[in-house]
Amino acid sequence: MIRHALAEGWLILRSRGPISPILALALAIPISLAGVTVSLRQWLEPVIDLSDRESVVAVLLHPRLDESQRRMWISEESRSHPDWKLVDVEPEELAARLASWFPYLEEVLQREGPQMLPHMVEITTRSPQSVLELKETTAVLAVGPTSSVNRVVGQVARRFSLVLLLVAGTLVSGAVLLAAVWVHLELHRNAEEIAIMRLMGATEATVRGPFFVAVVVPALLAAVISVVMTVVAVGWMAQLAAPLGLEARGALFVVLAGQVLGAVGLPMIAAFITLERHASNEES
Amino acid sequence: MIRIRGVTKDYDRRQILRGVDLSVDDGEMVFLTGPSGAGKTTLLRLLYAAERPTEGEIWVAGSRVDTLARSEQPQLRRKIGVIFQDFKLLRRKTVLENVTFVLRFHGIGQREAHRRAYQVLKRLGLHHRQSALPESLSGGEQQRVAIARALVYQPRLILADEPTGNLDADLASELLSLLCDINYQGATVVLATHDHALLESLPARTLVLRRGVIDYDGMWPP
Repeated sequence: MIRHALAEGWLILRSRGPISPILALALAIPISLAGVTVSLRQWLEPVIDLSDRESVVAVLLHPRLDESQRRMWISEESRSHPDWKLVDVEPEELAARLASWFPYLEEVLQREGPQMLPHMVEITTRSPQSVLELKETTAVLAVGPTSSVNRVVGQVARRFSLVLLLVAGTLVSGAVLLAAVWVHLELHRNAEEIAIMRLMGATEATVRGPFFVAVVVPALLAAVISVVMTVVAVGWMAQLAAPLGLEARGALFVVLAGQVLGAVGLPMIAAFITLERHASNEES
Repeated sequence: MIRIRGVTKDYDRRQILRGVDLSVDDGEMVFLTGPSGAGKTTLLRLLYAAERPTEGEIWVAGSRVDTLARSEQPQLRRKIGVIFQDFKLLRRKTVLENVTFVLRFHGIGQREAHRRAYQVLKRLGLHHRQSALPESLSGGEQQRVAIARALVYQPRLILADEPTGNLDADLASELLSLLCDINYQGATVVLATHDHALLESLPARTLVLRRGVIDYDGMWPP
């Protein structure tokens, strides 16, 4: 039976001429693009992680608050917001920071002393927007910026990666559709021969074997082409990403193994379903 | 070998066979005749499970055919040699390959398959055309390839649907003598034909099918 499948499968391939390599290429392109897309997502993962990092929001307290009132306010806010980490920044430290950020203030700060500055509290949290509610309280003079560049970059990367996943899914769906149409056409071309073989007493395995061989050979070719294309594309991406300090998270061979499985498995599944449906239709 | 009880076959509300009852013993030679559209081909198709009856029971070579599962059909068909009216040859295979490929389903090796196929083709006068493709053969030659394919694995039952339709009188007579030989060797032969000359050339049990009913069952000429 295996010899029959190989011999007849080879005849089908030979009768198709250059169509097999063209089909292999047509299948390899969406699969390799899907692989490159998944690889690109691996590069983006470290950037996506930035969106989950904690942000620090500066809160200036009203100068009228004395030390005990400040401590009470800090302990109350810590209790009501367990996800916040509040750190009291002493005026001396704030003065030092201001002097480094705005050097022209150094002279004023030395002359007037740090006591002229309001007390600042730094709140470390994963949801910086929640700190904005403090604006409404009388103890707070001002709330600093609630968005960080890292966080924004991370969020953009996360959305981009979702788009990439959608693109990869669409490409794989296209590959499945292509494989199904390909097998269906092949079956249609050989429908008469299949019907005769069944009438002569061929088992389903005998009838299907050559088709699986005729599908597996271009599918293997598609797998090789897609692996080569992905390795080349990812190598090029690595060169671009190296100066940015980005490294892929996850191994490339997992993507390549997925591509081989997809390139061979999808046409096989399509062939199995199409042959099964063909046999059922013929019976009915 | 064949037992049919109350078989009816409808196509789009048109009744092709109406309550056919029939029994053919092992080793019998039976002619099936009747006008075009009488249901001869349909009856044969029911016997090799290419169709299911609308009603009734069909038994062939010990298997109940009307309820036969798809997976069991190959086993039944390997016991039957079918000669099709429209030949059903594989277009991309040579004459020899058309005859040998069925032997693969019987697990016969390539060398033995070639030997057997050559013998049958020689008997049918086609051995010199073994490398030809069906499209290059005349209608009569294609018919003989179809016959060779049906006989090559020495089936217990031969169903022939108008096998002499494309043959001249000499070849038709040669084919009939070949089928008689096979019948003498123990195979059951059911031959559907509307060729009266063929019927009269060999006294045998004849079934006349008219409007889906067996109108006559006995020796021919009556």
